Amino acid sequence: MYTASKAALATLVLALLAAGSVRAQGVNGSISATATVQSPITVTGVQNLAFGNVFPGVAKTVAYSDATNAGRFDVTGQGSAPVTYSLALPTNLTSSGNNLPIGSWTGYLNTSNSTSGGSAITPSATPASATLSAGGALFVFVGATVTPPSNLPAGSYTGTVTLTVSY
Amino acid sequence: MKTRWYTLALTVVVATPVFGQRPIAVTGVQSLSFGTLLPGVPTVVSRTDAAKSGQFMIQGPHGTQGQLTFTLPSVLTGPGGATLALTFGGSDGGYSQSQNIGSQIGFDPRQAFVVTFSQQGSGSVFLGGTARPAPTQRAGAYTATITLNLATFP
Repeated sequence: MYTASKAALATLVLALLAAGSVRAQGVNGSISATATVQSPITVTGVQNLAFGNVFPGVAKTVAYSDATNAGRFDVTGQGSAPVTYSLALPTNLTSSGNNLPIGSWTGYLNTSNSTSGGSAITPSATPASATLSAGGALFVFVGATVTPPSNLPAGSYTGTVTLTVSY
Repeated sequence: MKTRWYTLALTVVVATPVFGQRPIAVTGVQSLSFGTLLPGVPTVVSRTDAAKSGQFMIQGPHGTQGQLTFTLPSVLTGPGGATLALTFGGSDGGYSQSQNIGSQIGFDPRQAFVVTFSQQGSGSVFLGGTARPAPTQRAGAYTATITLNLATFP
């Protein structure tokens, strides 16, 4: 009888342990959360488009290849990323309410700081697409022609060229 | 002798549910993928996004209930230990007894959620979220681990 009671007690304990393990069942599974952050785009106006002195009635052109006077923007961003760029171009340079017409825009796009090895662009035909270099660089050169009227008052004329670049 | 019969009967009654149950399991099926992010621009992935939402398959005894509990990271970790904020909203979790992403019951993944297994004994859990890169977020690949725990009660 004593032996039978011990066996019963042992069985009961085992049974309760088994029941307890059922209540404690729990399993895990995992996944990853992932994201890739691109480098932000920066656009820096590095060099102004400078016509210097102009004379009434005499048009003057600055070529995009003019290392000293052409306008230049430097762009940085994610390496090898495709981008869209656009240029906002003035139709006049102004001074005290007087206008100096500007047009015949020319441009050049390159992944290195050079006006060779890249491609000519038509600034007035943007937005357009481009691809940053493997290092995330892009260079934009612009030239144009000013056409001073014969009665243009003397003064310092300015305008703003804006380059916008986005992924 | 009478005591022995009692012992045997008790053992059978208690042990029967153990042998009658199917095993429970949680399987990670698909990562929660935010894709390409721009610094300063939050990106939301919906739990109904078939391509980007996080997905788990769960299995358990049909007709029984289980409790889901997520371990959710608050950041993704990237290059040089840089972190990217990750948040979950009150309806970013979804459960589908039929394993159909189009027929989910939404729930708050930050809280425990009780599910009932179908007759097939399986179901799908979906997870969305929001990644919030800072304006100065360092470029690169970021990752974190999301864990789902399933506990069942007989």
